[in-house]
Amino acid sequence: MRKDLVFGMAGSGGDGIVSAGDSLLQAAAAEGYHGVMTKSFGSQIRGGESSCRVRISTTPILNPGGNLDVAVALNWDDFLKFGAELPVSGNTVVIYEAATKILEADIPLVGVTPLQVIAVPIAEMAKATAGTERAKNTVVLGLIAGWFGIGAVAVMKGIRKKLAKKGEELVDANQRAFDAGRAFAMEHPLKVSMNVAASATKGQVKLITDGNDMCAAAAIFAGCRFFGGYPITPSTEVMQFFTDHVWKYNGAVLQAEDEIAGIGAAVGASFAGTKSMTATSGPGLSLKSEMMGLASIAELPLVIVDVQRGGPSTGLPTKTEQSDLFAAAFSAHGDVIRPVLAPTSVADTFRITIEAFNIAEYYQTPVIVLSDQEIASRKETLDPIDTTQFKIINRVVPTGTDLVDYKRFKQTDNHISPISHPGMLGGTYLASGIEHVESGAPTNSGSVHQRMNDKRTKKFDPLKERKDLFEVTGNPDAPIAILAWGSVAGVCREALEMAQAEGINVKLMVPYLLYPVAEGIYNEFFQSVQKGLIVEQTHLAQTFKLLRMHIDLPKGVQSLARSGANPFLPTDIVEALHRLLSELQRSHEGQLQPQE
Amino acid sequence: MSATCEYQAKDYKSDLKPIWCPGCGDFSVVQGIYRALAAIGRPPHEIAFVSGIGCSSRIPGYTTAYGFNSVHGRSLPIAQGIKLANPDLLVLAAGGDGDGFSIGGGHIAHLIRRNMDITYIVMDNQIYGLTKGQLSPTSQKGRTTCTSRYGSLEEPVNPLLYVLAYGAGFVAQASPTDLAGMAATIEEAIRYPGFAFVNIQSPCVTYGEDAQQIKGLKAISENLTALGHNPADRLAAMDLAQHYGEKLHLGVFYRNPEPAPTYDGLVRERQALLSKDAPPAENILDLFIKK
Repeated sequence: MRKDLVFGMAGSGGDGIVSAGDSLLQAAAAEGYHGVMTKSFGSQIRGGESSCRVRISTTPILNPGGNLDVAVALNWDDFLKFGAELPVSGNTVVIYEAATKILEADIPLVGVTPLQVIAVPIAEMAKATAGTERAKNTVVLGLIAGWFGIGAVAVMKGIRKKLAKKGEELVDANQRAFDAGRAFAMEHPLKVSMNVAASATKGQVKLITDGNDMCAAAAIFAGCRFFGGYPITPSTEVMQFFTDHVWKYNGAVLQAEDEIAGIGAAVGASFAGTKSMTATSGPGLSLKSEMMGLASIAELPLVIVDVQRGGPSTGLPTKTEQSDLFAAAFSAHGDVIRPVLAPTSVADTFRITIEAFNIAEYYQTPVIVLSDQEIASRKETLDPIDTTQFKIINRVVPTGTDLVDYKRFKQTDNHISPISHPGMLGGTYLASGIEHVESGAPTNSGSVHQRMNDKRTKKFDPLKERKDLFEVTGNPDAPIAILAWGSVAGVCREALEMAQAEGINVKLMVPYLLYPVAEGIYNEFFQSVQKGLIVEQTHLAQTFKLLRMHIDLPKGVQSLARSGANPFLPTDIVEALHRLLSELQRSHEGQLQPQE
Repeated sequence: MSATCEYQAKDYKSDLKPIWCPGCGDFSVVQGIYRALAAIGRPPHEIAFVSGIGCSSRIPGYTTAYGFNSVHGRSLPIAQGIKLANPDLLVLAAGGDGDGFSIGGGHIAHLIRRNMDITYIVMDNQIYGLTKGQLSPTSQKGRTTCTSRYGSLEEPVNPLLYVLAYGAGFVAQASPTDLAGMAATIEEAIRYPGFAFVNIQSPCVTYGEDAQQIKGLKAISENLTALGHNPADRLAAMDLAQHYGEKLHLGVFYRNPEPAPTYDGLVRERQALLSKDAPPAENILDLFIKK
């Protein structure tokens, strides 16, 4: 019995492949499995190629998985467009549409011989049972239930619920299509059984959501009551969640006329005393940078979510990348520190978004949540989260004596000044983008500018000591290290487990706080390290360079960087670790040579 | 409650000394704002006054209200965020013609269609003063400046027609040539329940042309009430507004006799409706439970 299976399916936009993935994930959750589903599309709105990966496991899942165990191609043109996003190996069972008229021996996969290749007359079966080819995705779900033992009951239960309003006939048609798929699988058993073991957590409540919805829900949980934004792929769902729910909590949303107005309204709402947020992607982050500078100098709390996609400019708008790191850390002009946090999964998007609000409110600063397309649009099954463990921090407001001759930007021991807001008697002041003295009055004095720059940057010193914003796993004294953040972190977590199982002495750091760079925490981590890998989906090795700007990385630490939409597999990382290990061994042997 | 008796114009004047050139029209504008606010009588801490960048955008700092001297062209988005976060506040926005009709020109149309209860005062001097005398969006065609040595090749924006065409519920014009009239117009704009726009011809004494100074403005000014204009007549207002640049019509061009609902008011209604039976925000993750 398997404990883990990775499915990858591709078809044309109308084939319902993503909806099949949704059904499979929900069925798996109902049966107690852990699951992750990622989607990937061409850039057409309708009718282009679409794909999804669904990973199902009896144990918690760290990433969407490496090579596919099961590949489903409704047509080969579409499947091949996803390239490395749907990698087939010698252990993959390939299922494809027989109507493509391609022989099993001739499927267009280059350089690989799959474990088994099966042509299935999917469209024909759909037509014969449901009267329409639109039921192809239901046939596929039947095949999966038959061959892999997932969703035999739960899939149709879910479909019945989903289609209940559309009438009994449609439900019955889908049932027939599903049964036909299952029957086909039973009649054509796999060479090697790939049934998944039953889950131990069957019957327990599970949550299913994606990174964007989780981010918005976390914001509302943290007390955010204003969202200003503008639609942009792949971050729009954050705004959509707000428009569905924030009114219930006496909050408001402004879908603004442009990215600048979106963040501008959020800055205004924060000035008025309300926790506020905006969300965007790549080009939108560029447009928002002036307002981010304003919020920094006016010391206004604000959370900016940037769901990264391939850049620059329009780039790859529907694919994931980590190349906004520099832009997030350094976007607006001037000497300024703007904290950047990055979640690594849907589950920790909850914690990291709350943390972003807490940091924004405590330090009175804009904070960037650097998500990415993969986390934002992937769905995860989650165990219920104990929300009582999360502390919510609110900005410090002036009281009593603070309000006698109130100074908004008063120098204090921790460089944080109580912040008033309109409506508060005694707290009136001028907020401004221009340099100001403690009262808020404009100045062009160099010495005041120096002092205020000190205040606005030194206030972040304690943030750089926050070890809880860094995850270190593996042997703390290991000579080999991996470092990764965002959606790449999950791949590295799995790679770490694989490498440890092989006996490699290695450790992994996952920073959730990317900026300011916590020099002390990194120096401590790298102390034992002779060889290392900074793994990232950027072409210019931005993470590697950002770290080198701030700390002296050990010489043996190398960059493993590639452009977006070229996902890392855990095996890629392990392979690189093998290389490092042999380099390390060679250098040790070198040291043992007698010196001439 | 006779709130109007409680405050005087001086209560809205801050200790900051304006950076404006002696004789700048903006001195009169800020006086007009003090007087209007005193007449309305809202305490300064219940007022949020937002501006962009430019000489005139320094104005919030010269009042005792909560001020926000923001970035170039973006006073209106910020003002809208403030209004939605706290609709009880009196929200004012102000700036120059470049701030409002050039770099920030895209925002005003959207504020008008949202009809938030915000008053927007533009100090229109047909020049970029802070950057020392470049062509502005309201400079007349042919004008020579340091960026138009051989004369401007563009027609100016007509701020009055612009906002009337987008459907603003309150549109007025004022000038330092009549300070009492300006204060009354600003007061009326603030009292209007919805978006209100006041264009103030505020001469630039340093870079303005002779015809744009007080004497020149007086020569072309006409009071709309004296002309017998009916401010409920939007088409008549648009007709008069066409003379922007040739004549200086002072007073109310248009006041919607039946003010439309405001965005901020509708937001409140929606909040009241949807918050009634809402589950607590602490339970928001329950939305993701799959049964």
